[in-house]
Amino acid sequence: MSAVTIATLLRHAWARHRVTLAVISVAIGVFEFILTRLAPAPNEVSWVSSLLMTLPPEMKALIGNEIATSPGGFLAIGYGHPFFLMLLGAWIVRTSSAAVAGEIGVGTMDLLASRPVRRWQFVVSGMLTVAIGLAVIVACGWIGTAAGLWTRTLGVGSGNFVPVVTGAWLLFATWGAVGMLVGCLRRDGGQTIASTTGILAVSFVLDYVARLWLPISALRPLSLFRYYEPQVIFAAGLPATTLLVLMTTIAVSLLAAIAAINRRDL
Amino acid sequence: MQAAILTQGLGKTYGRVTALEALSLRVESGEVFGFLGPNGAGKTTTIRLLLGLLRPSAGTGEVLGRPVGASGTLTRSEIGYLPGELALWPGFTGWHTLRFLERLTGRTAVDRDALLARLGLGGTDLRRTVRTYSDGMKQKLGLVQALQCRPRLVFLDEPTKGLDPLVQQSFYDIVTETRARGTTVFFSSHILPEVERVCDRVAILRAGRLVAAGTIEDVLASQRRRVRATFTAPADTSALAAFGDVVARTGTSLELLVERARVPALVRSLDALPLADLTIEPTTLEEAFLEHYR
Repeated sequence: MSAVTIATLLRHAWARHRVTLAVISVAIGVFEFILTRLAPAPNEVSWVSSLLMTLPPEMKALIGNEIATSPGGFLAIGYGHPFFLMLLGAWIVRTSSAAVAGEIGVGTMDLLASRPVRRWQFVVSGMLTVAIGLAVIVACGWIGTAAGLWTRTLGVGSGNFVPVVTGAWLLFATWGAVGMLVGCLRRDGGQTIASTTGILAVSFVLDYVARLWLPISALRPLSLFRYYEPQVIFAAGLPATTLLVLMTTIAVSLLAAIAAINRRDL
Repeated sequence: MQAAILTQGLGKTYGRVTALEALSLRVESGEVFGFLGPNGAGKTTTIRLLLGLLRPSAGTGEVLGRPVGASGTLTRSEIGYLPGELALWPGFTGWHTLRFLERLTGRTAVDRDALLARLGLGGTDLRRTVRTYSDGMKQKLGLVQALQCRPRLVFLDEPTKGLDPLVQQSFYDIVTETRARGTTVFFSSHILPEVERVCDRVAILRAGRLVAAGTIEDVLASQRRRVRATFTAPADTSALAAFGDVVARTGTSLELLVERARVPALVRSLDALPLADLTIEPTTLEEAFLEHYR
């Protein structure tokens, strides 16, 4: 019965979010495809690198200090670009806030929770919605890159970007778990959206400032964004520390979310 | 007979606000139980406690023989619920809503088609999204989702809100048939004539406290009678005030509220006066209800 219930809740989430998912996925795919058209050819890399080196430190920090020295490195910037991050953030904020707090806020939780659904099933189905949607979005991003690399020879294989999109998926799945926890503590979707977006923004700014300002650089590990550096992942794969930190955060957040929803009034 | 609902000292507080205080109630299986009270009396809180949506601050409760609580999935598979403030997903069609809630209940919606026909929700309506529905159509959809899987117990919170008189009539018939099939109906309302019409027993809630419970006859019997006496000539009726509360008095008429047990003695006293007419009205549920709120 548990699997059937979760599948039913997943279909419910699909019906609510499929249009948003389609729009974000297409936008990300097109964005990554366009980047392959803009990426420097192997014989242009040195020129583009010189140009990027002239950027102010604030801009370099925003797009990644490890400036592209290859077409692949340039394309990896696309997976850390604010546009890419904002769309993934929008997905996790939307779905994680809708799963529990959103239903409570508009009153539809009465219809759901008066059915034979265990409360942890709301958390698990919400997290699966976040994770599956993220997988679709990053897969579309990767398809955009792969399609671009198929139409243009840049000397880099699309398979090299699999660790990058996996890292993006893992980072935002972690944010989704945090969003689920926030949603289990709040009484409506608006509060959850504001809180989760606020935490995301603070974490992003902390990582950004800590990269620029040495005195607080020790604080950088406190930001989840510290554990997602697309160009580093492109060059060296997903670090074990990243996997450990993000997966532990997911597990702790989900357990805390289940504890919170079990103790609260709906 | 096993009680469908049994509570003992059930209470709910929000900080310093008491929403429900020490509710002890027994609802028998197969009856239609009216739960009366004005807005804010604690009716919805009681239902939400019994469904396990709220955690009780005090006391215990059983629904269909099992303890109330968030973990009561087996119990909730046998329950239907129409919320007082019904909220639906505006982007879903009526069909989608009913099928989704059927799947979530885990039981086949054996009564759906019959209910839709009785309440006048057609296929065209059901193919439209809920955001295009009137309040009455939403309420009909809410009634169907609550009853479609033939529950053993159904909580109906203000069920006729937004329904036109013709549909209300159909709804009362549905309640009667639902009871005839053995379903227990917990009917929360502040519309007294409909409660008087469909319920076997009632409970009256005031500011979170139970103030009366029993069959409608029991509740009415415990209420005072309205006695109106008219005289052929001006009469000294001052002694009659001892029988109850004087509501109105003129030289040739008197209106009193009198305990039922004292009515015979009052009638004997009236015999000595120039009585022209006498009416003794049984109280209605509405009067009984208002009496508790004076």
